Amino acid sequence: MALVVFGVVTLVFLLLRLAAGDPARLMVQPGTPETAIQQVRERIGTDQPLFQQFMEYLTGLVRGDLGTSFHGQQPVLDEVLRALPNTLLLGVVTMAVASVLALVLGVAAAVRANSWVDRLVLAYVAVGLSTPYFWLAVVLVLVFSVQLNWFPAIDFTGPSSLVLPVATLVITLTPILIRTIRQSLLQTLGEDHIRAARARGLSERRVMFVHGLKEASLPLVTLIGLQAGFVLAGSYVVEFIFNWPGIGKLTLDAVTSRNFPMIQGGVLVAALTFVVVNFVVDLLYTLLDPRVRLAPT
Amino acid sequence: MSDITTRAERPLARPLEAAPAAPTALFRRLRGRKSAIVGVVGLTAVLFVAVFASYVAPADPLRQDLSSILVPPFWADGGSFEYPLGTDALGRDVVSRLAYGARNSLLIAVCAMLIGSILGLVTGLAAGFLGGRLDAILMRLGDVQLAFPFILLAIIILGVLPDRSAAHLILVLGIPGWIIYARVVRSRALAEREKDYVVAAKSIGAGSFRRMTKYVLPSVWQVVPVIAMLDLGFLIILESTLSFLGFGLTPPTPSWGSVLADGRNNMVVSPWLPILPGLAILVTVLSINLTADGLADLFDPRLRKGTFRRIALRLPVPDEPPAPEAAPLLRVQDLRVEFPSNGRTTMAVRGVSFELDHGETLGIVGESGSGKSVTALSIVQLLDSPGRVTAGQIRFGGQDLVRISDRRMAALRGGRIAMIFQNPASSLNPVFSIGFQMREAIRRHGRKADGSVQAAASQSLRAVGIGDPDRVLRQYPFQLSGGMNQRVMIAMAMTAHPDLLIADEPTTALDVTTQAQILERLRDLTRAEGTSLIFITHDIALVAEYTDRVAVMYAGQVCETGPTRSVIAQPHHPYTKALLESVPRPDLPAGIRLEAIPGELPDPARTPPGCPFAPRCPSVMDVCRSVNPDAFAVAPDHRAACHLWSPERTEAVAR
Repeated sequence: MALVVFGVVTLVFLLLRLAAGDPARLMVQPGTPETAIQQVRERIGTDQPLFQQFMEYLTGLVRGDLGTSFHGQQPVLDEVLRALPNTLLLGVVTMAVASVLALVLGVAAAVRANSWVDRLVLAYVAVGLSTPYFWLAVVLVLVFSVQLNWFPAIDFTGPSSLVLPVATLVITLTPILIRTIRQSLLQTLGEDHIRAARARGLSERRVMFVHGLKEASLPLVTLIGLQAGFVLAGSYVVEFIFNWPGIGKLTLDAVTSRNFPMIQGGVLVAALTFVVVNFVVDLLYTLLDPRVRLAPT
Repeated sequence: MSDITTRAERPLARPLEAAPAAPTALFRRLRGRKSAIVGVVGLTAVLFVAVFASYVAPADPLRQDLSSILVPPFWADGGSFEYPLGTDALGRDVVSRLAYGARNSLLIAVCAMLIGSILGLVTGLAAGFLGGRLDAILMRLGDVQLAFPFILLAIIILGVLPDRSAAHLILVLGIPGWIIYARVVRSRALAEREKDYVVAAKSIGAGSFRRMTKYVLPSVWQVVPVIAMLDLGFLIILESTLSFLGFGLTPPTPSWGSVLADGRNNMVVSPWLPILPGLAILVTVLSINLTADGLADLFDPRLRKGTFRRIALRLPVPDEPPAPEAAPLLRVQDLRVEFPSNGRTTMAVRGVSFELDHGETLGIVGESGSGKSVTALSIVQLLDSPGRVTAGQIRFGGQDLVRISDRRMAALRGGRIAMIFQNPASSLNPVFSIGFQMREAIRRHGRKADGSVQAAASQSLRAVGIGDPDRVLRQYPFQLSGGMNQRVMIAMAMTAHPDLLIADEPTTALDVTTQAQILERLRDLTRAEGTSLIFITHDIALVAEYTDRVAVMYAGQVCETGPTRSVIAQPHHPYTKALLESVPRPDLPAGIRLEAIPGELPDPARTPPGCPFAPRCPSVMDVCRSVNPDAFAVAPDHRAACHLWSPERTEAVAR
């Protein structure tokens, strides 16, 4: 996991300095004399050799110093810590709503496989998997903010501001979760131990919701961990559209202004979040599956 | 469905087991799936527009007409056919922007897909076929890549580039895709490498490059098209996301994402401007996904909808109130079970009748496919879909099990009728402890107080010969041996003191010593409790040892039934004789060949009109081929369904 974070940090550091032009030149008015540009370079440190810049960055990281913004003097860490709760709020609410919704719809579809409920859910899955979420965000804003004026379109002004960003992410996230839970439950219900449970006289409800669902939820748990990546990536776009002051918007703004330390800070936080979520998912999986928990190592 | 991790998840969620199929068969199968056809049609239409954009588009997509900006589409007020879908804020024709946008979006996505798939095919093939350190390095690299959503890196790289061409986009989008192809190709190449024909090619001197390209590649590449289709849909969304954020092609070159972003700035005045390009993306990606699903179905029909095992529907008849109980305990009469599928009906059980008294042990013996398990599952009413009882009665405790309500049937299951299955390890739920499952069963059929439930669980485990029940109760099925699991199953079945226990090949999956222990324990327990037992097996030697009565089944019928002693000592049906002759016996001198029964079971979907055993029977007569024999009495309480024992014939022989 440390390897992933280190790899991502290194890659971003190098790619920024190789792919982008000279950030100092972009920060000044066109026509600024070369000596003034050189002064900017010295201030932000891009005049140093690449390797030295990198080592300084790494030693800073070890001390918990994420660097200083190219624009102004504020430390990157402060900015990132201010943005992180907003992204976490968006992500946690999205994950919670999406998991519950997917569980309900996925189980409903599996229990009534090939019925009209199933067909309806599968149609939603097919369309949802094909919907670009930035477009969905725009459509939701058009309908619910511009036309109906139910929810605010931009900025954080209260709980109602969460509705449209969360709805966008949930609608595009649930289809893959629904498909997984449906498939997994159908597969589990076909297993021998389910028939044996029925032969023991257990009620159909208990067979479905206790015996079927516990085993069938295992792939869902794994998938939810992977989908943390979707929520992270999705929050970039959603924060951009809804002007949500989170990590995604911070990073995108930094990309536009070539603010390297801020970009690095945003990506580092994203990588750490992703790693932590997957660690939690592994723990959860271990709790749910005795075969993993008790297997001799 | 819009990031790199979900992209990786899709092909994994759908294991790709491509099987080569003839093109004509492919076409025929494709015709049966409406959604795939819709997908192919939609995709063709989009491709047509993209390729012939310069003919489809009425105007130059970059030509600005500032005198007619934000013209609405033709159906709205103020719209006209001059600009069928209106114009944008710079007076550019929306139809033309969308058509050229289709060309740019698809071109970038298709090229990126090609780069990713070729890179993935080559690396996957090399990693899987050559293995070793190369494999380790490549797969580790892939793990690290998949551990982080690389769309974020793509956004950053493209975002900071001073100038973005189509080539930049193609490379940044395409290269990270290698891993999803490489993983699947690698695992298939790994499997293929070990196959006999590849190994044989090596032994005749084919070099490793030749083996890789001529032998492994042809059977591995088929997984690529399905992944590529799903990948393409994902790439289209990804490209449009980047364009939407302003990190796509440098303006004013249109792509769907940038047309959408332009439209968003004027969405309050002209809502169709952002809506139309999004619809174009949706329709395109949906068509691609439907086509991909169709392709996956073609390559792997097992994944088709509805192939999962489900419990069968029961006869739609009103609940029958129980009548006063009468002996015998169980009477199965003329039971028929059919499995309709794909227009042909398999008759698994064809008129089976037998009886079972209180405390009696009945053996049902026959080859696999003779219908013995289906008969047992009909008694507990747990046939797999689409199987169903089409005729006959199963009278138990004064009611017909075929015709009682689900609720009443569920109360009988695990209560008065218990059943244990062939594979003990898979008959217990892997994610619940033995104790949880035992307590659940005990509570279901009576006891409620926790202390007494726990005690009852321990006690029933002790009764099946488990010395340390409290430890076993804390364990999970995967921690126990097959024999232990089967003891647990028996203990669980006996907790409710059932009147009838059905044991469907309870020891087939176990080794011979365990088998004897378990069967003796089963016999002792059922005798002590006065439980009737139906013991299903393919081993007539076990029947001889453990049962009071026997029913020999062949092709869904009972061909001989009677007291075990009588049937074993004087088998009348040629099939029973053959079964007995195929058993090794200590009283035969060493070196005597055991007789195998020649031929095989008839196809249950096309049973011949006469006796089903006629094609394999050594004593076959003319009548056997046209008339299915009734069961004729051959000794007290002993019947055989064979023309050799018809009254006319026995009289004729006697005369």
